[in-house]
Amino acid sequence: MGDDRTRILELLAAGKITAEEAARLLDALTPNPATNTGPTQNSASDSATSGTETRTAGAPPKFLFVKVLSVKGDNVNVKIPLSLVRAGLKLTSLIPKPAADQINKTMAEKGMSFDLNNIKPEDLEELIESMREMEINVDAQSGDTVRVYAA
Amino acid sequence: MKCPPLWVSVRIEEHERKRFRLWLPLFFLWPLLAVLLLLTLVCTLLADLFALFSGSRPTYTRLIFGVLGLVGETRGTEVFIQDKTHSYRTVAVTVR
Repeated sequence: MGDDRTRILELLAAGKITAEEAARLLDALTPNPATNTGPTQNSASDSATSGTETRTAGAPPKFLFVKVLSVKGDNVNVKIPLSLVRAGLKLTSLIPKPAADQINKTMAEKGMSFDLNNIKPEDLEELIESMREMEINVDAQSGDTVRVYAA
Repeated sequence: MKCPPLWVSVRIEEHERKRFRLWLPLFFLWPLLAVLLLLTLVCTLLADLFALFSGSRPTYTRLIFGVLGLVGETRGTEVFIQDKTHSYRTVAVTVR
């Protein structure tokens, strides 16, 4: 982590990134933040992802965040309600059995042994609850970062 | 089941100047769609009754409610894409 911070500061010193971009990259490096602010924006433009993403201890996560920060300034920020995932998976129970069997068979042929009929609501809640501790950080050599987490 | 989204905002900026902003008031659309939904529900209830008598599992009405629930859960979705490398364009979509 210290190497990443040094690299970001070196890029800033070399003038390859702006101070705003460096701040964003440094924020993305912060592990398991208690509070995390959405991407900082120019005051002239509105932020699409304004507001804070606060992780409350004990409360299940409500949103899945995917953030991609590029040293070139490209920025992707996606916020998906986890209840959407819940509702979507509940719909799988309504798939007719012949269609579900066909889907399972096709997935097994592709190497994914996954039975749609076995998805239970309690398993889903457990999965979403465990996502509270999930954090995926990808740091590319070019300085690009990808963060996926639930809060 | 959550209330369906009330509005969708789409903002596109180029070179930090506002080029396009679209605000879709979905709350006008839902009352109109309610009539269509009611007709659909009548059809699905009839289909489910038919399925019940023929021994199949009645799923059509549950499917409609499931889809409605899915639409309602899209509230809070936000997508923000900023491309500074090629076109210096920002696209932001918010569903509330």
